[in-house]
Amino acid sequence: MNWTCEQTELLLTDYLDGLLSSAERHEFDAHVNSCARCTPLVSSVTHALFSLHSLPQIEPPARLVYNILDKTLGPRETVTGWAAVRAWFHGFNPQRFAYGSVSLCAMFLTVASFTSFNWKKPRVADLSPANVYRGADRQAHLVYARSAKYVSDLRVVYEIQSRLQRSDELPNNQDSTTPQTSPDKNPGSTDGTAPVSPKQQNRANDLGSRAVVLAAACPVCSEGRIR
Amino acid sequence: MEQDVQLVQQCLQGDGSAWEELVRQNNRRVFNICYRFTGNRTEAEDLTQDVFLRIYRTLGSYRSAHGGFATWMTSVTRNLLIDHYRRTKRDRATDSLDDAMPVVENKESSAKRPDEQALLGELSGQVQNALTRLSPELREAVILRDLQQLEYGEIQKILAVPEGTVKSRINRGRIELARILQQMGVRSA
Repeated sequence: MNWTCEQTELLLTDYLDGLLSSAERHEFDAHVNSCARCTPLVSSVTHALFSLHSLPQIEPPARLVYNILDKTLGPRETVTGWAAVRAWFHGFNPQRFAYGSVSLCAMFLTVASFTSFNWKKPRVADLSPANVYRGADRQAHLVYARSAKYVSDLRVVYEIQSRLQRSDELPNNQDSTTPQTSPDKNPGSTDGTAPVSPKQQNRANDLGSRAVVLAAACPVCSEGRIR
Repeated sequence: MEQDVQLVQQCLQGDGSAWEELVRQNNRRVFNICYRFTGNRTEAEDLTQDVFLRIYRTLGSYRSAHGGFATWMTSVTRNLLIDHYRRTKRDRATDSLDDAMPVVENKESSAKRPDEQALLGELSGQVQNALTRLSPELREAVILRDLQQLEYGEIQKILAVPEGTVKSRINRGRIELARILQQMGVRSA
């Protein structure tokens, strides 16, 4: 078949829309590749088609829908004054709104108390970001210091308890705990360890006496352990 | 499609919210057809309102057996656009302007607001200008096929012409558009 330029122009849309048979497509391509007139035609129409497809969808103005509804269904009722306020609040779900408000207040109170906001003498300056940060930083340090002190106190109490427990057990096992002279070791030396120096011993004795004083001051220890 | 038919039924029973839903779903499509045909936002907005007004009045004549609601709505839009074109053409003729449509429409399109041109982008603006310089028969065929991505059968129903004519108009429209773009100096990348 002898493909002509008129056929190319006539069937260009079918070609671009993929509606030609494979044989027709083959002949179309063969003609276009060898024809100086049809090559730019196909190229330019392909480009025009691509440009058309790349055109964006235009967003209609927002008022368009309301204008159409006004023209067809009639103008909407406009409420003013308290009726408008009531209508505005009517959209709220009272339970959800109340729950949300309470949550918001609780969150605000928590944050405010954490930043050491003075409720008795509230000042606007206390709400500035710098002051809020400073207050929060101070509170964080205070909490850390209190925690550290609490842990330290606990350690002292446990130490006292353990020492008191040991001292309770001492009188019963006094004979067995009396150091015996070891025939194959030098006097004063322990098994593989360095002998306790007098200075260390004095410090331990001193700590022990302080612990007894602290235990006497501590009501839990004085009731439970020291009689 | 079934949803549209259901909405139409509800509208015919006097359900205002169904009509509102129908308008919200379809106003973008109608507005885009009108804008691409006229090349002017204000005109497109007015025409979209007129289209929905006509649809509202003639909704009872829609028969789902004859095709989808979107096709029927596009058909109403197209008829109104052609009416508008003929009306404005008469107005232009009485103003003793040149009757040659491409020249007149070129003047119209060049009168676009600068912000509108910037919004469209350079290439989009040029393509839109070229589109408005096509004859209305070719323009509507190209818009329906290449911008609204409709099938030949749907376009045939909307334009009420044989499928051969539809193909021929689309083909000529594309070739003419490519020629205008070349004249405007828009080169392929």
